[in-house]
Amino acid sequence: MNTNLGRPFSFLRGRAILPLTFLLAACVASRGADATGSRFVSKPGTAKVRVEGTSTIHDWQMEGTLIGGYLDAGADFPTKPGAEVKPGKVNAKVEAFIPVKSLKSYEKDGKPYSDKMNEVAWEKLLVDKYPRISYRVSDLVLKESPKSKDGAYVFDSTGELVVAGVTNKISMPVNVTPMEGGKLHIVGTTKVKMTDFKVDPPSPTMGVLIKTGDEVKLLFDWTVEQKTAPAPPSKP
Amino acid sequence: MNQNELDALGFNRRDFLKGGSVATLMTMLGGVELFGQPAAPAPESKTTATTKVAVIGLGGWGREILRTLATLTFSPPNSSEKLPLVEVAAICDNYPAALKRASTEAPKAAQTADYKTILENKAIRAVIVATPTQLHKEIVLAALAAGKHVYCEAPLANTIEDARTIAKAARGAPELVFQAGLQLRSEPQRHFLVPFIRSGALGQFVLARGQWHKKTTWRTAAANAEREKAVNWRLDKEISLGLAGEVGIHQLDQGSWFFNSRPKAITGFGGVLLYTEDGREVPDTIQLVMEYPAGMNLVYDATLANSFDAAYDIYYGSYAAVMVRENKAWLFKEVDSPLLGWEVYARKEKFYDETGIALIANASKSVQAPPPTADQGPKVDTTLASAFENFARNCAEMDVQTEEFISTYGDDKEAMKTELGKLQKKLRPAASYLEGFQATVTAIKANEAVVTRKRVEIKKDLYELG
Repeated sequence: MNTNLGRPFSFLRGRAILPLTFLLAACVASRGADATGSRFVSKPGTAKVRVEGTSTIHDWQMEGTLIGGYLDAGADFPTKPGAEVKPGKVNAKVEAFIPVKSLKSYEKDGKPYSDKMNEVAWEKLLVDKYPRISYRVSDLVLKESPKSKDGAYVFDSTGELVVAGVTNKISMPVNVTPMEGGKLHIVGTTKVKMTDFKVDPPSPTMGVLIKTGDEVKLLFDWTVEQKTAPAPPSKP
Repeated sequence: MNQNELDALGFNRRDFLKGGSVATLMTMLGGVELFGQPAAPAPESKTTATTKVAVIGLGGWGREILRTLATLTFSPPNSSEKLPLVEVAAICDNYPAALKRASTEAPKAAQTADYKTILENKAIRAVIVATPTQLHKEIVLAALAAGKHVYCEAPLANTIEDARTIAKAARGAPELVFQAGLQLRSEPQRHFLVPFIRSGALGQFVLARGQWHKKTTWRTAAANAEREKAVNWRLDKEISLGLAGEVGIHQLDQGSWFFNSRPKAITGFGGVLLYTEDGREVPDTIQLVMEYPAGMNLVYDATLANSFDAAYDIYYGSYAAVMVRENKAWLFKEVDSPLLGWEVYARKEKFYDETGIALIANASKSVQAPPPTADQGPKVDTTLASAFENFARNCAEMDVQTEEFISTYGDDKEAMKTELGKLQKKLRPAASYLEGFQATVTAIKANEAVVTRKRVEIKKDLYELG
């Protein structure tokens, strides 16, 4: 029996180096997922939100320019123009929100419409208790790859839409266009019913009784930007 | 101040000394600086809150501002309850008696002689600067630097350089509301008139004429020589912009607004005709001829020696003339001008031999329009009330959007200034820093023309901020 007790750790030689290297590499790799910036955050100045509705008197629209949140791209998510992605489930974590008070009513020509309508709408959305409308994506399925290099990837998203504190699972088609400079341009639209979120369609009295239609169309245009990578970890 | 002093400054509004003479006397006595109890918090509605403001400068006009602010209310959604739109949390003046006197208009406001304490108070979101013109700059710059919204009385300053400094500081703070005290720019009737006029309803402009007549001395008595000099700043020829700057600026700016251009030259005349005994050199009667690039002139006269016909403006075109008086307007058509159609139904008033068609915002639609309800906002009767209504709501709006921006994107100051700068265009109508600056330039040049009795040219680049 040959025991090599005189030199400590000598039994590790040649055997543990591989596991240790692997461990170190794994550490680097997992930090690398953040370090290479798989997180895309909301970029100010680029967002557009629109809510279109109807009423017994006239159609109406509310608009906003704030969308907050982030997108964490999985390895198979298209983050650069021309990325090859197989149709089917794609990994990404997306959380987006719209501050309710950023939504304001406008005339068709873009002029501000009515402070009163804004206040009625916010109040119906229970803004003081739930200041945000949010969407948390649980599933993203790629339906169509872009036909050209700067085209959009067409996804079907499933997730939880929270309005006035009420959560509903919805499906929403979403187009994602990767742009140069580490940006993603995300566009989507969906129709929802106010009553599904326990929001009572407002019936304000403005000389005549106005009844707001239950169904509204939500449209959003969101640009997120890759977070700049932190400095690579120094050697141990 | 007593009734005579108020009349001296030309405040011909409602009798605001009903039962006040004893109170007035009491406030003139003593002179002890008081720090009042902090104002009780205003009841907050669920979505719109009352905006806390401070008024700095409590002369006759500062007190008029306080009275106006007290009339502004709003109703929360689905309620007819009336809540104050503005809470005057603090008032400031460096003269104790003025501070005390103003406190009767804002009894719950904290009183201070040092405006810096106001700027340090984070709860106060906006300051209204109503000090003598030459004292605006220091306070306005400090207020903007402290992150407060600012309402700066017109003229912005008594030198073009100071006015430019103020305007540039406002430009550099797009996340803050800066409103110049040109209250006509917030007045709803005039907003109806501008597109009407610009649509060519008057034909070709040939002339504009304005006047401001009020028999009043402008001289205010004071307790001591130092106060006398301070309170009679309008009569100090080294400082004052005279009738052109302190009174005319509003009507001169209105002309530029309606004509959509600024004057290229001004000729002035003026003299002390009535008040020759008190040694003043600031004219009590002036006339101006302002030349506009398109060729028409605006002829203006103001006097402290006669009250006939008070204040009005008339814009003369080849098809019709429009007379604007306070917040009313009338159209006087030429016999050969095209029919507008709606005039058949409009209300008409006789002025001597002339028939004026009353111009009322949306009059042509009045047959179909729904009856006015509380939803359409509080009724305002004065141009000053319109101006402060818009100021208060704009401040509240900017505050909400600033908060929402920061909660969405974090504290990115550059991006925030860019985004909020875009919002400025969508606020309720109010004189901007640029309009305030350009009107101040016009007023300063007008006064220069009066004082030198010359034709003063105004080069286009003088109106630019740079």
